[in-house]
Amino acid sequence: MHRDGWRGRDGSRHVGRDMAAGALMLMRHPVEFLLSRALHRIAVRRPDVFERLGPWREAAIVVAPSDFPVCFRLRPDGVHGTVRVIRHDDPTPSAARVTGALATLLALFDGDGDADAAFFSRRVRIAGDTAAVVAMHNTLEAADLSLADILGVGFRLRGPVNRGLGRLRRRMARS
Amino acid sequence: MGSIELVCPAGSPAMLRAAVEAGADSVYCGLRDDTNARNFPGLNFSPAELSDSVKWAHDRGAKVLLAVNTFARAGASDRWRASIDAAAGTGADAVIVADLGVLAHARDAWPDLRLHLSVQAAAGSPEAIAFYARAYGVRRVVLPRVLSVEEIAALMREIEVETEAFVYGGLCVMAEGRCALSSYATGRSPNLDGVCSPPEAVTYTEEEGGMVSRLGGLALDRYASGEPAGYPTLCKGRFAVDGALSYLFEDPVSLNAMSVLAALRRAGVTAVKVEGRQRGKAYVARVAAAFRAAIDALDAGEDIARFEPLLADLAEGGRQTSGAYRKTWR
Repeated sequence: MHRDGWRGRDGSRHVGRDMAAGALMLMRHPVEFLLSRALHRIAVRRPDVFERLGPWREAAIVVAPSDFPVCFRLRPDGVHGTVRVIRHDDPTPSAARVTGALATLLALFDGDGDADAAFFSRRVRIAGDTAAVVAMHNTLEAADLSLADILGVGFRLRGPVNRGLGRLRRRMARS
Repeated sequence: MGSIELVCPAGSPAMLRAAVEAGADSVYCGLRDDTNARNFPGLNFSPAELSDSVKWAHDRGAKVLLAVNTFARAGASDRWRASIDAAAGTGADAVIVADLGVLAHARDAWPDLRLHLSVQAAAGSPEAIAFYARAYGVRRVVLPRVLSVEEIAALMREIEVETEAFVYGGLCVMAEGRCALSSYATGRSPNLDGVCSPPEAVTYTEEEGGMVSRLGGLALDRYASGEPAGYPTLCKGRFAVDGALSYLFEDPVSLNAMSVLAALRRAGVTAVKVEGRQRGKAYVARVAAAFRAAIDALDAGEDIARFEPLLADLAEGGRQTSGAYRKTWR
């Protein structure tokens, strides 16, 4: 299993960031509830999305933002799926791991970025079961989800939330 | 539509919509099985999705072409025939086929169904193309990616069917439809299984000196930190020969034939094609928009050099080539 710790721009590990990870881990339960509920909402609204995953719908994939204190362990098993907040060095086995800047990973989630180009330029790294990652990527592409879907935002708020998160993502990408 | 038809890839209905909205005249896609050459996990269309997408595209004046372009296997050819039948049943505008038996089925069962010859058939001579046109009623040939612009111009003077030429995306170094490298390493091939370097056989590991890509356990390349990467195919592996590292078969590089678009149009090419059903919405939107703008500019008598650098960041290995069209490498 591939692991890499969350590191600063100079490659060093920062005590402050370890503390941030600790703080986020303390708050992980409501975040996990929110993200898992959003996943279940997608499963109810769009069961076809999960058919594309085939045998990989129970595969655990760690999404590891290299510039964020914690990672997310996703099991995209429809209404039985889960999202867990974990530390970068969490030893729990997973099928695969996808690592990149948070802005890059969010762009891949809503199809605003090209995954192959991100891979070619080494902005995204993958490790573990490549087929699970390919299945997840193709499923997300077909699902046509938006950033608001990550949070399970209701229909009326989707427009403003997507615009706000989109602006935030672009600002993160530039910084 | 401009003077040249723009044919773009779709691995999902969402990608098909993105292609049409960005300016594609036609979109090609495949069903979710080994009857097409992009049989990757989670990719492609169900028959119901194909039917809905054909209606959606037709409402916007765009065409949908179904790729049934792998070679049927003995004892399993029902699946290839079923894909042809699905295309005809959904109102797809054409099927893209390589296998002689599949062509014969399409010709006999659906005489009104338009037949395009896949690049996998590697028909690059007037005689071969005339045979496919005469025997099966093929109306368009997707040209092998080994011909120069001059060779295409000469070919066009001797054939009576339409032609389609790749202008952007991944390249294969082997004679189309005859590559055995993926089979050698993994037991599965693009020609029979629709998948080159199946992802279950691909691994990436961080090791001393960089990231190592492997296919079926065979090391393909080691990329130093920050060095642009390519697809994990044996043909793009980097090998040590006499102590020197080099890409023996093919560099990891993408085709971008924007610079020969005008020459292809002068040669009489009917359509230009973008590779990459496995990519996604962002890719197809950008490539389709760039080539749409270039074709429209050409038709307006404008120079199109300004469109050439627009797609550089999408290229495999971070590099682009005009491929065989200029044949500077021979």
